[in-house]
Amino acid sequence: MDSTISSLIGAAERGDRSASETLFSALYSELHRMAKRELARHGVPVSLGATTLLHQAYLDIAARDGPSFPDRARFMGYASHVMRGLIIDHARSRHAQKRGGRFEITSIGTDAGENVVDDRELTQISEALDELAKMDRSLAEVVDLKFFCGFSFAEIAAMRGVSERTVQRKWDKARIYLHHSIRPNLSL
Amino acid sequence: MSTLSPDQWQAVSPYLDQALDMPDEERKAWLMALGEQNPTLAAHLQKLLDEHRVLAQERYLEKGSVLLPGHAALVGQTIGAYTLLSPIGQGGMGTVWLAERSDGRFQRQVAVKFLSIGFAGGGERFKREGSIVGRLTHPHIAELLDAGVSSPGQPYLVLEYVDGDHIDRYCDQNKLDVAARIRLFLDVLDAVAHAHAHLIVHRDIKPSNVLVRNDGQVKLLDFGIAKLLEGEGHAGAITQLTREGGGALTPEYAAPEQVTGGPVTTATDVYSLGVLLYVLLTGEHPAGKGTHTPADLVKALVDTEPPRLSDVVSPARANAEETTTNAARRTTAPDKLSRLLRGDLDTIVGKALKKKPQERYASVTALADDLGRYLRHEPISARPDTIAYRAGKFVRRNRAAVALAALAVLASGAGIVSTLIQARTARTQRDFAFRQLTHAEAINDLDNFLLTDAAPSGKPFTVNELLGRAERLVERQHDLNDVNHIQLLISIGRKYQGQDQDASARRVLEQAYELSRRVTDQSARAQASCALGSALSTGGDPKRAETLIQEGLRDLSDEPQFVLDRIFCLARGGEVARDSGQSSEAVARAQVAQKLVEKSPLRSDVLESHTLIDLAESYRVNGQLREAVATFERASAQLASLGRDDTEQAGTLFNNWALALLQSGRVLEAETIFRRAIDISRADKTVEAVSPTMLNNYAVTLRELARLPEAADYAERAYATAQAAGDEVAINQSLLMRARIYRDKHDLARSDAMLAQVEPRLRRNLPAGHYAFGSLASERSLNALAKGDIPVAMRLGDQAVAIDEASIKGGGEGAVPLRLLLIRRSTIELAARRPNDAAADAARALRLLLAATEPGTFSSITGRAYLALANALEAQGKHNEARAAARSAAEQLQNALGLDHPETRAARQLAEADTLPQ
Repeated sequence: MDSTISSLIGAAERGDRSASETLFSALYSELHRMAKRELARHGVPVSLGATTLLHQAYLDIAARDGPSFPDRARFMGYASHVMRGLIIDHARSRHAQKRGGRFEITSIGTDAGENVVDDRELTQISEALDELAKMDRSLAEVVDLKFFCGFSFAEIAAMRGVSERTVQRKWDKARIYLHHSIRPNLSL
Repeated sequence: MSTLSPDQWQAVSPYLDQALDMPDEERKAWLMALGEQNPTLAAHLQKLLDEHRVLAQERYLEKGSVLLPGHAALVGQTIGAYTLLSPIGQGGMGTVWLAERSDGRFQRQVAVKFLSIGFAGGGERFKREGSIVGRLTHPHIAELLDAGVSSPGQPYLVLEYVDGDHIDRYCDQNKLDVAARIRLFLDVLDAVAHAHAHLIVHRDIKPSNVLVRNDGQVKLLDFGIAKLLEGEGHAGAITQLTREGGGALTPEYAAPEQVTGGPVTTATDVYSLGVLLYVLLTGEHPAGKGTHTPADLVKALVDTEPPRLSDVVSPARANAEETTTNAARRTTAPDKLSRLLRGDLDTIVGKALKKKPQERYASVTALADDLGRYLRHEPISARPDTIAYRAGKFVRRNRAAVALAALAVLASGAGIVSTLIQARTARTQRDFAFRQLTHAEAINDLDNFLLTDAAPSGKPFTVNELLGRAERLVERQHDLNDVNHIQLLISIGRKYQGQDQDASARRVLEQAYELSRRVTDQSARAQASCALGSALSTGGDPKRAETLIQEGLRDLSDEPQFVLDRIFCLARGGEVARDSGQSSEAVARAQVAQKLVEKSPLRSDVLESHTLIDLAESYRVNGQLREAVATFERASAQLASLGRDDTEQAGTLFNNWALALLQSGRVLEAETIFRRAIDISRADKTVEAVSPTMLNNYAVTLRELARLPEAADYAERAYATAQAAGDEVAINQSLLMRARIYRDKHDLARSDAMLAQVEPRLRRNLPAGHYAFGSLASERSLNALAKGDIPVAMRLGDQAVAIDEASIKGGGEGAVPLRLLLIRRSTIELAARRPNDAAADAARALRLLLAATEPGTFSSITGRAYLALANALEAQGKHNEARAAARSAAEQLQNALGLDHPETRAARQLAEADTLPQ
């Protein structure tokens, strides 16, 4: 079976369910492999931003798959979803076996210990996002791109071909929904 | 309440969309109105919106998540003589670990800082310099114990471990008053003075580098590290950028010379210390509140005088709550704090923050002395600002533009450096990166040079004078190698072109081209011919311009290291093609350039926004309005994210974007964006400084919106400005516009006279058969119709359509105007009692329009086509069909032109008319 990422994206867009599953796992192992490669290259901790990883993955895969490879915006749409999976899985495995997950989730903040997102909360966010995606896919996508992959509103707007204001509104909306699902008992 | 059920969410979702798009005040009234109809929904919505406010304040989920590999795996590893214990920090420069000595000789904990930058040369120099900095011992300087490079080439530093808080937070948490803050700050000054005495400049003083331990002891971190990182072939300023997390420049504490690329001296630290003191005393940054884009900060840094300390904390300020909090953190009230800071402290901080290094305190010790005198209530040495000092402002204003240009170069330089580090695989790529870096430095040199050597001292000057001096200086520099000489000439030529000095641009670029024929460097050859091509294109030699572009593109081989040159040539080629009416070729070139930018590892936002603007304009000229509007939107978002949405470049972008909207019949949207374009280009100037084309475009928009007096006013101004500037194209456009306005006023004799003036002018400038002659005939037909001369109107209407169709058939422009010409002819046909022809023309226009408009957008032109169709159908006696068409017309027109527009009203009237008895 022809299983380049480009052909998988094509098939997924035509509604082929098994292709979209294969695409997910192919992208997953691709991103995972790249993260490991980065680790191996440096040998010591370096920060590895999700955005950088995605851009590199795009360049790598696009170079390999050739001119038929879809545009960045489409690629990022799929890859950001996969990136969420990658982050969640590592958070979970770290939770399960304290001694040695290979990744750690931390905030972009400059100080340690600040705003570290709890891995349980991450899992909850992901589950709530899956629910949200059933009702409004574009809202979940904005969260994947912004929260999980670190893209700015301007970048997302450019990728999606909409105004920044629209992205901001979708983000605000999605956040209300997520908050409801995750911290339902927060009193205001 | 718990998770929102899908039903609940669907119910509330559209209301949330509306509410989130409203300003607060409006939202309140809207919710109240909604509450009267549906109290449950309104209450629910209110709760969600309250929640939204809290979430926005908390910045819930906004920090994002990041992958950090292998933390856990590294615990227990040894680096040099140290064992890693746990990660304690993650910053722009890299990760910081708590560690202890492995050999157990000392019970001492240290911080190991891994720098996220690689060293190609094994880092020998890094180690050597490290040992020099290591000798810096002072009670307030965190000691650098060791420096090295781990086996995979990762440089690290071993530092004294400081368990403390940032100085600004420490002061706030302990509510230190002004005097206590100054005393603590004097400890900082003592440490910096010690380092300066050892000829080490910090270069990066900011709160996160100045820690205070629980016992109140100040410790400065990272002394001399910036210097350590230098000298591996990077210029200082570029290093500064790369270390801030790979390209994100945060010059909050940087001195002006650090962003303009001037020499970094001890005065640089004096400036950063001034910013720190400003923050400690007022709680605010000199550039003001809020988040700043790097470009904003640089602009503020180079040309805005910070407000006085005492003004910033004054109770008269708008944000009373914040000033009170800030004062409370200094155990005082706003008015008292303002009095405390007024006078000497205003003057001391003002002197530390001078834009020119030589006007600041001569040394850190001098600053400390003045602060000591202040604490002892003795007279200080610094004098308050004088008027004469403020007169220098003009010069600085001019510098901002140059500094921003330098920033762009530096920012792309930073991208290049990190690419170099990441993609060490291919040798060619590395060579390429070095080449680009050298080039970036050459341009940077030019900017520096424009700021310093070429700038006449003490008197105002224009950019053109500067360029003239630069040109002469470059001529005299015989030690330049040819390629650099060519590059500098191209830079100067392009700057002339940007100043609309076409003749000078051509002269310099001809020279660059001639020189380039003697070298083999592909890049210099291609850039020289393409730059000259672009300059000749507007100067009336389109044939040679095209030849030069093709020559330039041919000179470049397909190797990746020439991708930027290729993009440059394609962009210039796009301009040349647009100028000579080859608009589909222009689109093709811009598309190729854009693909290259997207695929390039050197892709930068600045580069991308340039390419997008080019592509969008090519689409527009080629009549692909949908694509044009979408691309302009992207480019505008790009510019906004770069903080460049108030530059001249943005002004041009907005003008062209609005024009595309206007041509699509999206008039209300066009009006907003034209106004932005005009606001940008008249900043600090009068409306006379706005380009006549822009004024005329705005006049057209206002007339479409039936705001006739304003339209007339702008049209007159456009005409006057166009005449003063001798801008032929704008004169023609504004004459046509005035003709329309006289027609609106039923002054048909004057209107005819205007049109009669336009005709010979068009004949002089345009080839026969150009679609503009069709538009002219169409204007005449409308005048004839207004006079009731229907046969003449009919003849001219036919003529207009025929000319335009012939132009399209011959591969020229005219597709967009054709729709309008058909609608006008339909109106004439209706007056001539030829309802079948009228219906056919309207239907044809409608088909063309619907094929070209984006679904879900509304267009005044589509609305008019529907209205013309409705009128024709009515005349044919097809009342029901006529009403349906009129309804569509009303929908289009009210969205594109507004509810109260006369044409919207006419359409509505027709749509609601009772069916007449058959």
